[in-house]
Amino acid sequence: MRNSGAVLILTFIAILTLQAAGVSPPGKPRLTSCRSPEKETFTCWWEPGGDGGLPTTYALYYHLENSETVYECPDYRTAGENSCFFNKNDTSLWVNYNITVVASNALGKNISDPVEVDVVYIVQPNTPEHVTAVVVHDEQGPFVRVSWEKPRTADTRSGWITLLYQLRVKQEKDKEWEEYNAGMQKYYNVFSLHPDKEYMVQVRCKPDHGFWSEWTQTTYVKMPDYITRERSLWIMITIFFVFIVVILTWTLNVKRNSVKLCLLPAVPGPKIKGFDKQLLKSGKSEEVFNTLVIQGFPPTTDYDNLLVEYLEVYDNEEQELVQDGKDLSEDCMKSKSPSDIDSGRGSCDSHTLLLEKCMDGREGSGSNQHQYSQHGETRWASTESSESQDPEPGSPESANGRGKTWPVVFPSPQPQPHHHYPVGAAKPAYHSVPEILNHLSPHAMSSNYHQLNHQDILQQERRFSKPACRHSQSYNQFNLDGIDTPAPGVAPSPSLEYVEVQRVNPENMLLLRPLSDPNREPEGSDCTREDYSKVKEVTSNNILLLQRDMSHQCVDDYSQADQCTTQQPPHPCKPAVHQSNSGMPQEAIRVMGNGYVDSTVLMPSY
Amino acid sequence: MTQGSRLYFAVTVLMCAFVSINGVGLNDLLERASQLSDKLHSLSTSLTNDLDSHFPPVGRVMMPRPSMCHTSSLQIPNDKDQALKIPEDELLSLARSLLLAWSDPLALLSSEASSLAHPERNTIDSKTKELQDNINSLGAGLEHVFQKMGSSSDNLSSLPFYTSSLGQDKTSRLVNFHFLLSCFRRDSHKIDSFLKVLRCRAAKKRPEMC
Repeated sequence: MRNSGAVLILTFIAILTLQAAGVSPPGKPRLTSCRSPEKETFTCWWEPGGDGGLPTTYALYYHLENSETVYECPDYRTAGENSCFFNKNDTSLWVNYNITVVASNALGKNISDPVEVDVVYIVQPNTPEHVTAVVVHDEQGPFVRVSWEKPRTADTRSGWITLLYQLRVKQEKDKEWEEYNAGMQKYYNVFSLHPDKEYMVQVRCKPDHGFWSEWTQTTYVKMPDYITRERSLWIMITIFFVFIVVILTWTLNVKRNSVKLCLLPAVPGPKIKGFDKQLLKSGKSEEVFNTLVIQGFPPTTDYDNLLVEYLEVYDNEEQELVQDGKDLSEDCMKSKSPSDIDSGRGSCDSHTLLLEKCMDGREGSGSNQHQYSQHGETRWASTESSESQDPEPGSPESANGRGKTWPVVFPSPQPQPHHHYPVGAAKPAYHSVPEILNHLSPHAMSSNYHQLNHQDILQQERRFSKPACRHSQSYNQFNLDGIDTPAPGVAPSPSLEYVEVQRVNPENMLLLRPLSDPNREPEGSDCTREDYSKVKEVTSNNILLLQRDMSHQCVDDYSQADQCTTQQPPHPCKPAVHQSNSGMPQEAIRVMGNGYVDSTVLMPSY
Repeated sequence: MTQGSRLYFAVTVLMCAFVSINGVGLNDLLERASQLSDKLHSLSTSLTNDLDSHFPPVGRVMMPRPSMCHTSSLQIPNDKDQALKIPEDELLSLARSLLLAWSDPLALLSSEASSLAHPERNTIDSKTKELQDNINSLGAGLEHVFQKMGSSSDNLSSLPFYTSSLGQDKTSRLVNFHFLLSCFRRDSHKIDSFLKVLRCRAAKKRPEMC
């Protein structure tokens, strides 16, 4: 007991002394890895744990799993420092090796942890050999064919070991390698390499179940300078298209005018007889309009007379004062008038009307005619004078005096005075329009109308509804185009006579026939009130929309800006008064007693 | 006589054709078989890795020795020289015996996989099932190869597997599962190696593959 204790103490002191001196038993070694390159031999490496300041020796011991016999490493040298090489004879497959390394020096030894190794699981082949990279020129373009050989030690021929290959390629400047798997074959074609560049190639291999080998040394290959077929094709296509574009542009340029015609067809311009477009283009509208002006129209003299005449005529206040235009509309369809918006009263200014008749009638004799002409003049005068005044509700006379009415064409020889006036008489006659045919000729007023008509030409179209009971309500558009220049040599008719519109033919011409025509069909009683047309609405381009008024109870209303919204005929409504928005003189329609509208039109003064 | 000789000649030609066709067939069969065995071993390796990811250290201590695998009694070549000396049919019967020995244990593994005390249980379960399928296909393929080879004797070794359960507690079950799997991994590598040797031996016409 004492001895052992003393020995222990001494040993302890010795160790301490030795440690103070810097020497110690070796550190624990560690087996780092074991590898078999061909599944026939293998090598294990260890790292020392520290030699403790004294020369240390290492020994590797192993035993197989199914025996207890411990063997020492047969070869410490072949594989280098701190390694143990197991040759073929010492290598058994599918058997676990239990390997330990013992480090020993003068002071003691140290044993590493045991490691179980099965050789078949630690296979890592050597690198492939003889890597070559060759540029192959193909019709598609050059590519690189990389070929190599198997590592010398691996016996793939018998199938003992199966190797899979992998190669990688990059340019010197690239960061990432491009990897390709070659399977079990020993060559590989690399495409899509850039021309005139140098590439680095490396190859490695791996067994079917094992570790990858190291990469081979770099093999360099330089691609030749060539233009890829694809790029040359694109260049050709581009040049071709540029060429085509140039040709097209030049052709378009040459044929510029016809192309313009084709793409932007000419818009038919307005054709106004007597209207000189060139003159308009050249400049002054004055000149243009002057050509259309009929001299002496409107009559600017004798306004008083006109007024007087006007007053004389209306002897019945309750008479529906015709919308002056209303009468006229049936007497003479007026296509347009710049300033006279009489509500549909036909006048000789209608371009479809037989202007000759108008003129003749105007020139003709007859007190009535004269009256009417004067009346017309009066009206003209009145309109002119009251151009800017608003019509006011009041006596029909004053209203009439202010209103503008168209002088009526009176083909019938002896109308009663009030008949002749385009007044809404109690028993309104038919608003007659002088027949276009010759035997009814307009009277002396025609010249005025003629002038008026000329002025009409200037204006926009208007629409009229035909109040004649016989005819359906329709809007007739009186086109500028259809205007007939009033013939200067219209024969004057000897008498005035009412005419009525028989029908409107397709060319928008009113066919008139005199009221005294025996062939005329009797009219229904309900037409009596329908001779007068009521202006329902004036459209934006100064067209009066006439309405068939069936009701006796149209409100006598005077309004400036109401608008009828419906256009169905039998509909009591408030006649509308529109502000013309064309800059023309204002027109106002005044509703008289039983709903007829008295339109007052302001004539422009020339 | 002439007719007889002609007949004999025709039969010979046909037989030669048949044999040559068979030869090609054998090559392809072996190619397919080695692919299957490769897949088998890869699966078992990945299963082992999954299992190792969460293996209790104590298990390593408890692990039975590999020599206790039920197939350890089979005499197999231990190195290349021995292996290359073995004739083809013997190699084939070795492979088939091993394969046959594992059909029952794999069934056990498959049934136990779902109740393993392991976080990767589901993956292990699915892979085990896949292993079973693979083994069945390979077994059938090897049957064909055997018939194609036309060896007379069928000397399959019997390697019975007597274990019916992996254990009572979950740790021992896990350990036994791991052990059984490691035995299988090794045996699958053997099968794979033998078949690949066979493949290259039969592929005289395609030396570039071997």
